[in-house]
Amino acid sequence: MAEISADNAPKQRVKAARRALPEAWFAWLLVAPAVIFIAVIVAWPLAETVRLSFLEADLGGEEWVGLANYTDLAESRRFHDTVLRTFYWMFLSVGLKLILGLIGATLLNAAIPGRALFRVLVMPPWVIPIAIGCFGWLWLYNGHFGLISGMLQRFGIIDGPFEFLAYKSSAFYSAIVTDVWIGTPMVTLFFLAAMQGVSRDLYEAAWVDGAGRWYRFRRITIPQIMPVIVSMALLSAIWTFNSFEIIWILTQGGPRGATTTLIVDTYKTAIGNYKFGEGAARAVIIVILLAIFSLIYLFFLNKVNRRYGAK
Amino acid sequence: MATLNLDHISKSFGPAQVLHDIDLAIRDKEFVVFVGPSGCGKSTLLRIIAGLEEATSGRIVIDGADVSTAHPVERGISMVFQSYALYPHLSVFENIAFPLHVQKMPKAEMKTRVQRAAEILQLTDKLHLKPGQLSGGQRQRVAIGRSIVREPKVFLFDEPLSNLDAALRGDMRVELSQLHRQLSATMVYVTHDQIEAMTMADRIVVLNNGRVEQFGTPMELYHHPATKFVAGFIGQPNMNLVPGVIADLDGSGAAVDLDGGGRLVLPVDTNGAAKGDRVEVGIRPEDLDLGTGLDLSVRVIERLGGVTLAYGTVGRDVRFCASLDGVAPAREGENLGLAVDPAACHLFDASGRVMRRKSAPAFSA
Repeated sequence: MAEISADNAPKQRVKAARRALPEAWFAWLLVAPAVIFIAVIVAWPLAETVRLSFLEADLGGEEWVGLANYTDLAESRRFHDTVLRTFYWMFLSVGLKLILGLIGATLLNAAIPGRALFRVLVMPPWVIPIAIGCFGWLWLYNGHFGLISGMLQRFGIIDGPFEFLAYKSSAFYSAIVTDVWIGTPMVTLFFLAAMQGVSRDLYEAAWVDGAGRWYRFRRITIPQIMPVIVSMALLSAIWTFNSFEIIWILTQGGPRGATTTLIVDTYKTAIGNYKFGEGAARAVIIVILLAIFSLIYLFFLNKVNRRYGAK
Repeated sequence: MATLNLDHISKSFGPAQVLHDIDLAIRDKEFVVFVGPSGCGKSTLLRIIAGLEEATSGRIVIDGADVSTAHPVERGISMVFQSYALYPHLSVFENIAFPLHVQKMPKAEMKTRVQRAAEILQLTDKLHLKPGQLSGGQRQRVAIGRSIVREPKVFLFDEPLSNLDAALRGDMRVELSQLHRQLSATMVYVTHDQIEAMTMADRIVVLNNGRVEQFGTPMELYHHPATKFVAGFIGQPNMNLVPGVIADLDGSGAAVDLDGGGRLVLPVDTNGAAKGDRVEVGIRPEDLDLGTGLDLSVRVIERLGGVTLAYGTVGRDVRFCASLDGVAPAREGENLGLAVDPAACHLFDASGRVMRRKSAPAFSA
């Protein structure tokens, strides 16, 4: 029978270390592509953006200005309006997407003839490229040859051509409509998938107990899909907050800033006016706001999963 | 409580007819079990009683009132589902109180009823928990509690023990039987498990391909199966069926020549049978003893302690099983002599209908 002497122990530790070292290196090798990828496309640009935000930077060069870009923004009434407008844009658009998504999913989940066809018909706004969808809406909103203005005139609701994107209030809500049109299908499909995951037995048990349609929806469907509702609400909020293409194609942030959200403002400042430092400061503020959103998202998701997720 | 009458119920899904003219009268406070293989229509029949499916034709009558088109609540039934159908986001209390909440019952009365149900089902200390925190048996009890608080006329159970492990299923069978006695309720119970049917039922409905094969007490079904199907379905291990031909008939019974050789004279009612008719002799494995009569070519032996099951073939390669004493000297690969008591045998005609036995245990009459 072999015995391990005390003298052998250090040698074994060395051997173990020799074995462990290549393993650690192998592990690093495996994650290296991802680490390099993240470093190049996320970490470095983020660090560069933060650095730029402390500079007065344009095509002519760079100059250290410290927190000046941030203090300027803190004192800018226009920037405050943009932040408020961005939140208003986000809450209104996300609220509508969730409500319409919930109604749409409920209808698509109902046992109606041709349900499969309706499910397919929901997809186009989401499937077709955003630019093409936006150009379609651009034409619809046109006062002279747009369908909406034409229909309203035909039914006598307006007297003459109405340019939806030419006025401050109508441009903002028109952009909201387009954003909701593009964003609702995905919300609908997620809600539909969640609804289909709810056991049919739960509804039948409730039906046998005398629960009506609305009661079942309120007491079974909503709580059962609540984790998905919360996930979609917060993800949709982040996406809507950052929604750029729709506004840019429809109004480029106009008229007179009526549709300028933080992301559009950042683009206009940094790329349109070549004020890279000021643009970077705005971008950093967006990152901070979205980080707060992400924390809220995780906090609510955990809470909701604890409340509703236990199966 | 209440009587339940199924009056010529038929049900079709498109061109497929799944229930054929089901006609049953279930008595007050009776525990009736629908049993049959998968796809026989037993769950569909239960769902029709519950109001979850509509019968294509026929009537459901509860306590003399035709409830065929009534809402489940108006029928006075409650149902326990195979999956328990508990609301995962609600506590045990809220789950049990759910039907009362729907009825907008005053909170004090709701609490009293839930407490009473919880006491019956030993759930008093679990009322604050969520279903996810309970064991399978406890979840099933919560589902039953939800039924109890409704104080229905008829309780319906759709394979409620199928999701439980074997040991727990045995315990729950006893609990359900006790509950039936305690509540003195009319209960209809669906299962594919013949042991559940035999142990719990006052009467059993055996369904096959949407038709009632037989409706009777467990002992009637065991000792006087009306058809070959019932004979094969009730009893564990399954009844052996040995083909043969009627060699002789007289007032006392029929002499049957078995295909593999040998003759059995069976004391059965042979009304309508004729010499030369093809028949099958049904022999329950537990009615066999070591002796002479049949030669079993043993292929597999299962020793369960108290009994030994010997599987093999007899005659012209007919599959056969004998349930013998635990220490029976049976060995795989050898032949085993078996003694058959003709009085314990069943005889089925070519259509599978039984020729009624003249002698059978007294309690089965």
